[in-house]
Amino acid sequence: MRTPAPKKTSEHPAMQEPDEFDRLYRDHVDLIYRYAHRLCGEAESAKDLVQETFLNAYKGLKDFRGEAQVSTWLYTIASRACMRMRRKRKGQPEHELSLDEFVPTSEGEFRLQIPMDGLSPEEALQNKELRQALDQAIEKLPRKYRMALVLRDMEGLSAKEVGTIMGLNERAVKSRLHRARLFVRRELSARGITHHDDHKSGDLRS
Amino acid sequence: MTKKKTSVSKKRSEPSSHHHTHGQSHCVDILRQLSAYIDDELPSDICREIRRHLGACPNCEVFVASLQHTVTLCRHRPAPQLTSADRANMRHAILDVANAQ
Repeated sequence: MRTPAPKKTSEHPAMQEPDEFDRLYRDHVDLIYRYAHRLCGEAESAKDLVQETFLNAYKGLKDFRGEAQVSTWLYTIASRACMRMRRKRKGQPEHELSLDEFVPTSEGEFRLQIPMDGLSPEEALQNKELRQALDQAIEKLPRKYRMALVLRDMEGLSAKEVGTIMGLNERAVKSRLHRARLFVRRELSARGITHHDDHKSGDLRS
Repeated sequence: MTKKKTSVSKKRSEPSSHHHTHGQSHCVDILRQLSAYIDDELPSDICREIRRHLGACPNCEVFVASLQHTVTLCRHRPAPQLTSADRANMRHAILDVANAQ
C-alpha cells in the first residue's frame, strides 16, 4: 500500500508522475467514492468530492513520502475537502451533540426498538423504510460526527486511524462516535419503523 | 470511552448494585459507556458491572440492543459503486484541471 517516494524536481508533477497518479487513482478511486458517498449522501456531491480529493492528491503526490498508508492519506485529504465543501442542501445546522440530549426521559423512549428480530443485518436492510431511515439519520448528523461514524462504523477503521485522519486524539474520536451512534439510534427508533417483509424489493442501494 | 473508573465501578461494592433499583443516574452512567462496552474497550470488572445492570434493567437492556443494532446496520449498509464511465470521466476531469493550473 505504500507509494515509493518520488524524486523531487522542480518540474510539474504531471510531467514526471502520470503513471504514479494513474496507479493511485485506479487503486483507490472506488474506496474514496464509497467514503465520499457515505459522507455526502448522494452521487453528484460524492463525485465532486472525489475529484477534489484526487486533484489535491495529484498536487501533493510529489511530497508524499509514504510515511502513512496511501489510503489514510487519501481519507485525510477527502475529509478536509469535505469540511470545506459548502452545504448544498438544507439540513440540520451544524451543532455540538451533548450526551444529555440522548438520555431518555421516559420509559417509552428508553424502550424504542429497531426492527431486527431474528434477522441478519443484510435481511433487515432489505426493508426499504429502515434503509432510508438509516441514510437520513446519518445525513442529519452534524458533519464532524458523521465523519467519525462513517470512518469507524462504515469504513471499518480503528479509532487511532480515525484520529489520524481527523486530527483528533482517540478519546475525542470515541466521544464523537458515541454521540453519533446515540443520535442515529434515536432517529431510527423514533421513526417507529414497522417490520414488514420486502425481501424481494431487490436493489439495496436505493 | 475512557477506561478510568467511573461511578459505575464505584458502585461495585454496594449491595444495591445486585438488585435493580432503577436509579436513573445509574442508567445514565451506563448509557455514557455503551459504545465502549459494545466495542469491548472496557476493563472486565466494568463490563461485568454493566452486564449485571443490564440483566436487572429491561430499559437499559433494550437500549443497548438498539444501539448495537444501529452499529450493526451501519457496518452492513452497502455503498453504491462507480461505473467504468464515471471512473474514466472523473479521471479526465481531474487531469484537465491539474494541467490547466
